[in-house]
Amino acid sequence: MSALRADELEIVEEKDPELNEQQFESRTPWRLAWRRLKKDRVAMVSLGFIVLLILVSLFAPLLTALIGHGPNTQYTTRGLSLSGIPVGPGHNGFLLGTDDQGRDVLSRIIYGSRISLEVGIGATFLALLLGVVVGLFAGYYGGFLDSVLGRFMDILLSFPILLLAIAIVARFGPSLGLLIVVISLFSWPYIGRLVRGQVISLREREFVEAARALGASDLRIMFVEIAPNLVALAVIYATLLIPVNIVLEATLSFLGLGVQPPTASWGNMIAEAQTGDLFTVAWWFLVFPCVALVLTTLAFNLLGDGLRDALDPRYGRSHISPAKRVRRAFRVRRTPPAPEPAEAKA
Amino acid sequence: MTVGPGGVFSRAEGTDEFLLEADDVVKHFPVRGGAFGRSHAAVKAVDGVSFSLRAGETLGLVGESGCGKSTLARLITGLHPVTSGHVRFKGQDITSLQRRQLRPLRRSMQMVFQDPYGSLNPRRRVGSILSDPFSVHEHLSRAEVRRRVQELMARVGLSPEHYNRFPSEFSGGQRQRIGIARALALRPSLIVCDEPVSALDVSIQAQILNLLEDLQAEFMLTYIFIAHDLSVVRHVSNRLAVMYLGKLVETGPTEEIYLNSRHPYTASLLSAVPVADRAFRSERRERIILTGDVPSPVDPPSGCRFHPRCPKAQAVCAVQEPALERKSGDPDGHLTACHFPVVAGEALANASRETAGVTGSGPAEAVHP
Repeated sequence: MSALRADELEIVEEKDPELNEQQFESRTPWRLAWRRLKKDRVAMVSLGFIVLLILVSLFAPLLTALIGHGPNTQYTTRGLSLSGIPVGPGHNGFLLGTDDQGRDVLSRIIYGSRISLEVGIGATFLALLLGVVVGLFAGYYGGFLDSVLGRFMDILLSFPILLLAIAIVARFGPSLGLLIVVISLFSWPYIGRLVRGQVISLREREFVEAARALGASDLRIMFVEIAPNLVALAVIYATLLIPVNIVLEATLSFLGLGVQPPTASWGNMIAEAQTGDLFTVAWWFLVFPCVALVLTTLAFNLLGDGLRDALDPRYGRSHISPAKRVRRAFRVRRTPPAPEPAEAKA
Repeated sequence: MTVGPGGVFSRAEGTDEFLLEADDVVKHFPVRGGAFGRSHAAVKAVDGVSFSLRAGETLGLVGESGCGKSTLARLITGLHPVTSGHVRFKGQDITSLQRRQLRPLRRSMQMVFQDPYGSLNPRRRVGSILSDPFSVHEHLSRAEVRRRVQELMARVGLSPEHYNRFPSEFSGGQRQRIGIARALALRPSLIVCDEPVSALDVSIQAQILNLLEDLQAEFMLTYIFIAHDLSVVRHVSNRLAVMYLGKLVETGPTEEIYLNSRHPYTASLLSAVPVADRAFRSERRERIILTGDVPSPVDPPSGCRFHPRCPKAQAVCAVQEPALERKSGDPDGHLTACHFPVVAGEALANASRETAGVTGSGPAEAVHP
């Protein structure tokens, strides 16, 4: 038996020595994580959806041109019935119907995805930048600096964000850029605190001491030695923070503080749809933006979960069924969950 | 290169300058607690250690876990600030230097760490890890750095093509070679090896020790070799320093200490070294089994720190701390800190039985072959 196996192994090596070398070569942490992620069907479907969404938002003008309906054009004759009721899905060439002003819901959702992704990804990126830098300094130096930065983050987190956002928007007037800044301003402390904790444990590792023994500066240790070890955490957390920020954008737009009409955003589409009671007859122009929002949020959350499992295989969760994971992702989250599974899986 | 009693590692005799001198080095770590985080006690990790080291020597530093070996190593290399005392490297007091001022000295003083899994950054490629010394201390072109790194890898027995791999793709022994290459990169004169082989398989240990030995000859290195494996220390070092609870209890030429250990602690340590071949067991290889645990370094025993566990302890040991000095009949350089040094042929195992009541510890066991 064992002799046979040895033979087989030899044959494999004879056949293709390059192959073996390549397999060994690919054992980098990232490739291992990718291999694990590929096995996760839920995460891969989510990833596919997100990639599709990004493509859709990138090529929004092209798509709407193909559809033939602009996002803000009011099709008063074709898009509304004689009594002013919006046209339902599939009628008159409106795939998802029209809204109360006779605009194409699909085109608006396509353009709305741009806003959602811009704000979601933009605000998360800014938050990530700020959170990682502040967390690095607080965790690495500790002591007084840590106390000051830690208190500051606590104060920010304890602010009622919507109230403050209303105040800021009232002062500066609504704009997309301001929206991104305001959202990132309130989401970076989550990342900051998380990074700080990770840095506190990383700075005691022997490779940091080795760098110190080489005479490396503090900045070099922080950004060359410690930061690469934070990438996994940052990727997971950013993926989980994006849907939170997308929902936040929708919330602010819903309240009229974000993207201003007639520019389409999922938030203000929902807001416009629920004023009045037209949606009791024409459900589609309220439901479809909601569906887009829910699917996007869900996809990011599920991908984040999958990434966590793939990048940190110590907490294997493959035993949890896809259905349960979807249910889990539906739980209301005011704040994104911490990547460290504090809630015991076992 | 002369082959001294310590084996091939000795080359030192003849040089007069001390490469490294430690003078009454003390390191206390404050223990924080209580409502306001004030320190009310201190872990006396290193408590007054003095020794000197000549260029080309290998000093073996041995002692139980927690006796302060690793702390001492970090004090010598300036990784931790000392509480008091002085460390002089090439005549320059490094304890008073700021971190920035210490930087040029780092070139000539390097460290190999114990854990080859922890001492290499898991998220960085080996080539990048090994180019650190150059990017911190020298301004070289990328191609030049790459060439030097590959040269280093080849020198320590790694394949230079593995430049782009991550540490996780190497075995423990290979990783320790990477650690050694990193320490060697800037051609230091002193390398402090903090238990460099204790995490490795025995067969790999020998390879790494041989590598260190070759490198010492090639690059005129001086080693401080920390270990708790006495057979390893005997193999590599030509001088030995035995630590117990933050203090040196005995120091001297390795073979001298192995053959004629004067401190009861050293004697008990050496008696615990297993000897595979019965023929090599001499009569004096009686095992001395110490009773009790190592006392807490927060509150070390009075007088001689070893007295609660010492088979020869008497009343004076609990009161007066013995000085580290040459005992009668010993050659120069063999220093012992003991009021009642062991004399050759003394049966310590029996002594421990007789004095068991005096020391207050439980009865000691003697295991005879």
